[in-house]
Amino acid sequence: MSNATLERPRPRGRSAPGSAEAAPRRRRSGWWLLLAPILAFDVVLFLTPLGKLVGASFADNAYQRVLEDPLVVRALVNTLTISLASTIVTVVLGYIIAMVLWRAGTVTRVILFAVVLLPFWTGILVKNFAWAVLLQDNGIVNAFLQGIGLTGAPIPLLHNRFAVIVGMVHCLLPYAVFPIFSSLTSIDDRLGLAARSLGAREGSVFRRITLPLSMPGISAAGLLVFIISTGFFITPVVMGGPGDMMIANQIDYYARQLTDFSGAAALAVILTVMVSILVAVYQRVLKAGGQHEDN
Amino acid sequence: MTASVISAESIPGTGRAAQGAIELRQVSKHYGDVVAVDGLDLTVQPGEFVTLLGPSGSGKTTTMMMVAGFEEHTAGTVLIDGRPVDSLPPRDRNLGVVFQNYALFPHMSALENVEFALRMRKVPRAERRQRASDALERVGLGKMGGRKPRQLSGGQQQRVALARALVFNPAALLLDEPMAALDKRLREQMQEEIKTLQKSLGITVLFVTHDQDEAMAMSDRIVVMKDGKIVQSGPPEEVYNHPITDWVASFLGDTNLIPCTIVERNGEEAVVDLGGLGLARVRDRGASGENYAVSIRPEHLKFRTRATAGNGCAAALVSSTNLGATVRHRLTAGGHELQLRELSSDRGTRILPDEELWVGWDADKAQLLVLES
Repeated sequence: MSNATLERPRPRGRSAPGSAEAAPRRRRSGWWLLLAPILAFDVVLFLTPLGKLVGASFADNAYQRVLEDPLVVRALVNTLTISLASTIVTVVLGYIIAMVLWRAGTVTRVILFAVVLLPFWTGILVKNFAWAVLLQDNGIVNAFLQGIGLTGAPIPLLHNRFAVIVGMVHCLLPYAVFPIFSSLTSIDDRLGLAARSLGAREGSVFRRITLPLSMPGISAAGLLVFIISTGFFITPVVMGGPGDMMIANQIDYYARQLTDFSGAAALAVILTVMVSILVAVYQRVLKAGGQHEDN
Repeated sequence: MTASVISAESIPGTGRAAQGAIELRQVSKHYGDVVAVDGLDLTVQPGEFVTLLGPSGSGKTTTMMMVAGFEEHTAGTVLIDGRPVDSLPPRDRNLGVVFQNYALFPHMSALENVEFALRMRKVPRAERRQRASDALERVGLGKMGGRKPRQLSGGQQQRVALARALVFNPAALLLDEPMAALDKRLREQMQEEIKTLQKSLGITVLFVTHDQDEAMAMSDRIVVMKDGKIVQSGPPEEVYNHPITDWVASFLGDTNLIPCTIVERNGEEAVVDLGGLGLARVRDRGASGENYAVSIRPEHLKFRTRATAGNGCAAALVSSTNLGATVRHRLTAGGHELQLRELSSDRGTRILPDEELWVGWDADKAQLLVLES
């Protein structure tokens, strides 16, 4: 009797949830179809070539060959130092612009936004050649410096590392301004008022409130700008000297001048791995910094 | 300990003890053509708890911001302890401010938040720690010093904000709608705590709110503001029971407004004609205008018998609503709709539909006022 009453609901219980679950499962089962286009795109156009490239890099002892090339080592060092310098300059300048944008009235803000965005929409070649025109020996900058008597002869402003950094910073600025600006706008204005009422001067408000609270924007900007910096190719060619070539220029040299595709592939892999390690360290340091702040 | 938190520390540079007197003389704030605050005169005595009460747009927060130094007034003078502070930046005004959302520094612990003002004043580290933890102890958060604001409840955040505003012995405390974000129960608890704290410290408080219950519960004096001007100012009971305009009467709570004509004015009292309700003797504050009315709070109307002496009239019941602690009756009398509120416990028997009712009120609970609208 008790067995019968216990058993009787079972098949019903088994079948009912089964059929009830079937419907949502059927509905859920197609989710990956939505990802299919981008997956197909990525596999065909990105992952497959990348795999081929990594595979090619292991052919013909390529790593040893490229790392024994003094020009490659030089280009790697250049890439790191130029990227680091450009990142620091870009983030500092970007922070200043973001602060002005943050504090500006509506009209000033719109105009400044346009000024920041304009280079964003302009081709990098156009920007770099424009700078080359400005910075050349008989360019407007040298003419001005001579005009006010600061220098008698033209200062070499072009085809050196300074010029490369100027050209890169100009291209990179929007990538720094926007993350920093958005982290600044998320700061409650009343925090500044509260700090002032508690006796803080403007400098203290910045150092103790604004700067720490905009750190997420600064670190995002730094990361973004650094990663983009390491891939610069045109700017060292147009604005740099022979000693300012970066890794992308070496890849180009290996692929097109030497037609050494395995060497070029090895260089590409080295660059990617190097940047990945740096990004991992950077984020580890940031996280440690955040934890330290908590203590 | 009580004394040490708000010891008689002098205002920097004056050598005088901070008393906490705030005075506004003809203070105005114009935004272009818009007048936010219009020639305000206000004196807050040392140790007084004064509330600026008004709807949004009445200029109450702007007034407070001008006292704090965050907004520059376009005319007039603000004085703290008799000294004009018009050219002083907020940091030199020595006022503790608690903001509507507390404005706690999210990246600092509760203790670091409280320490901030002392850090800005270059107080040595050990003393700073001690004073900040004492201040947190005082608001009942002695063990919470290490927590970040986001790890604290709304009520705890407010206590931290209070401790932060008090730790540097300010001349006065400015509170801008500090309870707006709390639920009703917590709000009432915090009202009592702030009031107790204020009394024990003897500190001047300028409080801004749009909540008339809060103003009633906490203030020594309520300053009712409308359109950038002070409409009425006085102790809570006086403003509540003796409003000078229908707007003040309605803003401070439910009321019965009965239009009237003046028969005779005689200093504190007046005799008025209430139309269908006959003649009545009412309180008079001498306000003059074009049209007049009498305000009687619903709880001051009482069911009476015809025989009882005093002001009164026959009335018919429209509806009764039990609100828990009180019962609200809607009545008609002499062509007017009246509201009568009594304690549920006072209502022994149910009123019958055809029962003959007589309502009355004490002469000093009926207030003659000016009809603005």
